[in-house]
Amino acid sequence: MNKTQLLQGTLDLLILRILELGPNHGWGVSNRLQQMSKDGLKTSQGSLYPALHRLEMRGEVRSEMAASENNRRARVYTITRAGLKRLNKETETWQAFALSVRRILGAGR
Amino acid sequence: MPLRPGEDDLDDEIRGHLAVNIKERIDRGEDPASARRAALQEFGYMPDVRDEMRRVWYSRWYDHAEALARDIRFAARSLLRAKALSVTVVVTLALGVGANAAVFSVVRSVLLRPLVNREADRLIYIRQDAQGLGIQNLTFSVPEITDFKSRATTVSAFGDFSTVQFTLNGFGREPRLVRAGVVNGSFFEVMGLRPVLGRLLGPADDGEKAAGAAVLTHRFWKDVLNRDPSVIGQTIRLGSTPATVIGVLEPSVPYPTETEIIANMVTSPHHLGATMNTDRKHRMTDLFGRLIPGATVDAARAELSSLHTSMLREHPDAYSPQARIGLQVRTLQEQIASPARTILLVLMAAAAVVFIIACSNVANLILARSVRRETELAVRAALGASRGALRRTLLAESLVLCAAGAGLGLFLAGPLVSVAASYAARFSVRALESTVDAGVLWLGAGLAVLAAVLLAYIPRLPSSDRTGGLGLATGGVRITPGTNRRLRIFATTQVACTFVLLAASAMLVTTLTALQTANTGYDLRHVLAIDLPDIVGPGLRDPSRESFLQETVRRIGELPGVEGVAIGGSVPWRDRSTTRLQFVAEGYQPANGEESPTGRLRYVSPRYFAVLGVPLLAGRGFTDEDRTSKELVAIVNRTVAQRLFPNGDALNRRLTPTNLGTNLGSPPPSRIVGVVADVDEDNVVQEPSMIVYYPIRGGGSRLFVRAAGDPRLLVPSVTRTIRAISADQAVERPATLEDIRTEVLAPERLNAFVFSALGGIALLISIVGVAGVLAFSVSARTREFGIRLAVGSTPRALRTGVVWDGVRIATIGIAAGAAGGYALVRVAQSFVGTVQLPGALPATAAAIVLFVAAIVASLMPATRASRVDVLQALRSE
Repeated sequence: MNKTQLLQGTLDLLILRILELGPNHGWGVSNRLQQMSKDGLKTSQGSLYPALHRLEMRGEVRSEMAASENNRRARVYTITRAGLKRLNKETETWQAFALSVRRILGAGR
Repeated sequence: MPLRPGEDDLDDEIRGHLAVNIKERIDRGEDPASARRAALQEFGYMPDVRDEMRRVWYSRWYDHAEALARDIRFAARSLLRAKALSVTVVVTLALGVGANAAVFSVVRSVLLRPLVNREADRLIYIRQDAQGLGIQNLTFSVPEITDFKSRATTVSAFGDFSTVQFTLNGFGREPRLVRAGVVNGSFFEVMGLRPVLGRLLGPADDGEKAAGAAVLTHRFWKDVLNRDPSVIGQTIRLGSTPATVIGVLEPSVPYPTETEIIANMVTSPHHLGATMNTDRKHRMTDLFGRLIPGATVDAARAELSSLHTSMLREHPDAYSPQARIGLQVRTLQEQIASPARTILLVLMAAAAVVFIIACSNVANLILARSVRRETELAVRAALGASRGALRRTLLAESLVLCAAGAGLGLFLAGPLVSVAASYAARFSVRALESTVDAGVLWLGAGLAVLAAVLLAYIPRLPSSDRTGGLGLATGGVRITPGTNRRLRIFATTQVACTFVLLAASAMLVTTLTALQTANTGYDLRHVLAIDLPDIVGPGLRDPSRESFLQETVRRIGELPGVEGVAIGGSVPWRDRSTTRLQFVAEGYQPANGEESPTGRLRYVSPRYFAVLGVPLLAGRGFTDEDRTSKELVAIVNRTVAQRLFPNGDALNRRLTPTNLGTNLGSPPPSRIVGVVADVDEDNVVQEPSMIVYYPIRGGGSRLFVRAAGDPRLLVPSVTRTIRAISADQAVERPATLEDIRTEVLAPERLNAFVFSALGGIALLISIVGVAGVLAFSVSARTREFGIRLAVGSTPRALRTGVVWDGVRIATIGIAAGAAGGYALVRVAQSFVGTVQLPGALPATAAAIVLFVAAIVASLMPATRASRVDVLQALRSE
């Protein structure tokens, strides 16, 4: 399966979705991203961090330093109410958009 | 370099991320090196991530800075295409910023900068004035100072300083006259000054028994002695007293006068004499004080004033009620700054007015330009540019212009500061310390930003709800009434401000001309005045002095080209003598309650009146016999004769002085032998005042030589002749009376010059402003003119119309300027006391100049209006 370049703006949405499942640190988020997409997305792990910080500045995610499993200090991100709200709204938009695109592309095939 | 505290955290975070990835890979069996490589690869290019992070953290700033940088590049490019406009704006702003920066730096060094003196806020200057006599600074006598010293509790120590002149012999140089101070032992301690070399005078140098000791001021040591350290310990002669140079004073503000040497009391025989130490009315000492810790200036003022009041009560003979003697106490800093304060504030106001004129002119040009650009702005608005973005474009443009203007202005500030400093130095020596430094640069930058922001908010933006209203389609200039009004308001402001400056400078020029052309009563061109300072201190008689002077008069009188020689006690206008004579006149009965007549007292030699060209109205002049005869004689001026002897019988009446009492008793009466025409030695413009002349007996230190031709040519031969008689004699400041008048009028001339220069700049800027507004309005009305020509208007009528426009702007501007200027003067009066209003003549002259300027400024646009090509104009839209 070819890896797909991420569409502009969708990374935020994916991160919010993963954090909806529970607080996680950067490495965890990137792992889950790979797992849940079944390795289908082409994104560098590094680009995750700017996105996380951007979300934090917008108040959709909050973070705190905590000890992780292997005794390293790691920043753990938690989704906020504002983040949940955006996730729900944009998921809806995305589904509607994807549906329309699929309808057009799929029509008559 | 962490960009913000979070950056260290981020590093931790990334390191943790990589570590976990690597560990998991190793756990899966990969070898450490390739695990590490793979983890880094998966993570992505690290610098990109960091860059991205910064963009997240500082996104707003990044966006704005980037947009502004883009706008500034764009602005610079588009301004390069409008060269004439850019140059005009930059030069106008540079003049405004430069003038303000220069004035500000002088104001700061004179009024704001602290003195070098230790704890200057505890250093006070005590001044005695006599309002009734119009004397600002009467100084103090030794008995008065002794009273203060013994009774004051808020002042820990007093320092006295009396200004004297010494003929200085030493340092291997020609004898010369130096201005010097004679001080007591606590003076330097009170002043809080340190030596840069050697030591200063202390309590051990007080008293008659002490050895003569002198401290050099820094300026004298630096400029005259070239910082020669070996002068310490040298013996010099001050007058006839030897003194040892003991130290060099640190650079400090010279007060009360610029001096070269400060010496102890013993160097001045006069200071040891009875008159100095016992006569309460013999005032020649400036008094400084150092407050005790914790005492305020107010407390000291209250205490010293009450001491002074009781002094007045205890010695009624020394304080005439008519003189209204009072006491002023303030810090030395204030005392030094106060004479310059008014003139500096006026100068600052004038500079601010120039800045306003410059800004409004620039605003005009920018506004006109932005109207031409409305199409461009409308297009950009239509394409989705927000109002903020448009504003930013304008801001960028004005920032570029103002930064360039401020840069050039600060470049100009350097030379302007030295001009302004030498101007202000007439009022306060501290002005000479002025330099351009960081504070001035900040001021310039601040003014530039202020101007830039103001300018960016002047033009009207295409409003989103009325997009159709802008001339998107035509591509031509459509001037709206609002813009036109604003342009006119700016032009009117300029005219108003210019009027104020022009009226002020016209007033100063009028005053100067009046001073320069006033009849002084002297023959100015043919009289040479020379100072021949007495080697012996004041008040003492040197028996050889008389024969020296007689020999000098005789030998100089024999020189070719000399028509007459005389000796006097003072040079008109230069030596402002305060000696007053109160007398009883035979045959004159003062009215009840009126004081005895008081006049100025002058000692002059025979032929004095003939040499100075003062006509003898009755009787005779002094003769050589008068100097030695038993009978005392006097000559009075016309004012005395008219006031006291209105019947014209002044001759042979007797005058008896009443205030010249010495320990020998009051002097005998003297007989009036002559009446001379009025002259005024204190004021260049004569004010009627009474003068009594006595024959000079043995003393005198001012030589007057009347020349047939140019008196200046006589200086070398006169100097040679004097030196041949006495090699030790200093020959100082030879000048014609005309030179002296010019010198005395220098501050007035400088005032007139500075204000005329500011007024001239303002006038130029205003002409550009008015012409610009009219040219713009003409070019916007091309179509209207075309139509009017087509329906039969004559070109002449159009031309007249535009000129009337200019005259209208000038009229309103002058009216506003007159009203505003009047209001300004009233406001200023509440701050600085009296401010002179220009008379009708200068104001009218300023108005006429402005009218002419407005007409000249409107001629070019008017001509253009009358030459509009009808067909072209009608087709153009």
